[in-house]
Amino acid sequence: MAAGSTYTPIATTTISGTPASYTFSSIPSTYTDLVLIIAGTASGGTNTYVQFNGDTGTNYSTTYVYGDGTSAVSGRNTSTSTPSVGYISTAQGVSTVQIQNYSNATTYKSLLARWNNTGVLVAASVSLWRSTSAITSVLVGCSSGLTFTAGTTLTLYGIQAA
Amino acid sequence: MTPILGIMASQNYPRVTNSYESIATVNVGAGGQSTISFTSIPSTYKHLQIRAIAKSNWSGNVVSYAMTLNGDSAANYSYHELYGSGSAAAAAGSANTSYMYAGVILGNSTASTWGATVIDLLDYQNTNKYKTSRVLTGADINGTGGYVELMSSSWRSTSAVNSITLSLISGYGTLFSQYSSFALYGIKG
Amino acid sequence: MANTFELIASSTVGASPVASIDFSSIPSTYTDLVLKVSIRSSRTATRDDTTIIKFNNSSTSYTARYLVGTGSAAGSYTDTLIYGNTNSNLDTANTFGSAEFYIPNYTAAVNKSVSSDSAEENNATAANSGFTAGLWSNTAAINRITLSFNGSNALQYSTAYLYGVKNA
Repeated sequence: MAAGSTYTPIATTTISGTPASYTFSSIPSTYTDLVLIIAGTASGGTNTYVQFNGDTGTNYSTTYVYGDGTSAVSGRNTSTSTPSVGYISTAQGVSTVQIQNYSNATTYKSLLARWNNTGVLVAASVSLWRSTSAITSVLVGCSSGLTFTAGTTLTLYGIQAA
Repeated sequence: MTPILGIMASQNYPRVTNSYESIATVNVGAGGQSTISFTSIPSTYKHLQIRAIAKSNWSGNVVSYAMTLNGDSAANYSYHELYGSGSAAAAAGSANTSYMYAGVILGNSTASTWGATVIDLLDYQNTNKYKTSRVLTGADINGTGGYVELMSSSWRSTSAVNSITLSLISGYGTLFSQYSSFALYGIKG
Repeated sequence: MANTFELIASSTVGASPVASIDFSSIPSTYTDLVLKVSIRSSRTATRDDTTIIKFNNSSTSYTARYLVGTGSAAGSYTDTLIYGNTNSNLDTANTFGSAEFYIPNYTAAVNKSVSSDSAEENNATAANSGFTAGLWSNTAAINRITLSFNGSNALQYSTAYLYGVKNA
């Protein structure tokens, strides 16, 4: 069996100012999966979302399960333009997003996310982008008109299969 | 044996400069495949990870699929799940099962959509421990039937893992579909 | 760009059970930390146990929110400790829990987030698994991580591995 060292940092940004989103562009097609880490704060409490290749249409959907500290809840958002991959607030939190087989030009794209915001909820989700296009850009955004806070970090890693 | 207060971890010297390596990949071709096998798994890592997208020829939507180790298909496993169905959060578990949970898979009632899975198997070479897997998995179909889950399983054997087989649960399809992809990684420790 | 997922240190419990596992002098050269943990505790009061994580020898300023499945029901709660599920000595023999803790930006001058997925396994319907969202409200860089086990000890063959991940 072939063995290859992998888990490569592709790009990182540390937010300056108060943008509502940030885009990773020109993502190389040489990896198999992408791992996106969103760590930091926002101007208020809201979901973070992703969009691929500039697609702002309602071509996404999400199934999620979360605990709010009192109840365990599951829900679904269908035909949305902003699939949630986390919850961000004025307190530090982290989301880890696994984007599987992102450069596959045959399948729709599935992503698994873990949301961690201690003050609000802990969650996991699976999202679907109904496109067979290879992912070449990832926009990471704050919903509800809120913005990322300076110092928040967004990092993209690539994992290459044998 | 008298417990001691604590232990200090040993530092990684000389440094292992990168600990995450790809081992092998199975990409399902045009004819489909009934099982996915990783054999002759090297013993040089501490942990294994499988990252996969999976679809089958089952006529339904979302269902679990199975993993067995070292060819053991006897009732030497157990599994548990915490999941969201899109309408309810729930949990379940079973003892004395003949397989571990590998993740959720999409049937062919929803086109172009594959289930996603990340499987972690720690200490797979350790001959003093039964083997515990932990899985984050999910499938969304833009409608009813999607699931997101944390699955865990145990294989009641102290044998070092040298092979992994992924298969469909009886009654839920016979073939993994083309473009399903399963990548095995090793993590040094 | 170079790959990044490096083993920093590891720990395996020997014949004498231990009350804690300690990673000290953690280098500041990475961006995030990943801790992979396989623990069986000496606890016999209940079937399950927890692996508690603390930083820099601090016993204060921890909060966490949990989503847990018990093998038959799902629930959620909060705590002033950050932990993951693991096995006790009442669980099926030779069976150890499985957990991963992810700590981003561990050297940044911000409060520290912790994400954990964890599972106790047991040859029975009942076993706990779940997700943890933790926060250590302290802006100090993390240079030490201590794992403990809810008043019990980690048994022989329990392991913990600390990895560093460096961003671009």
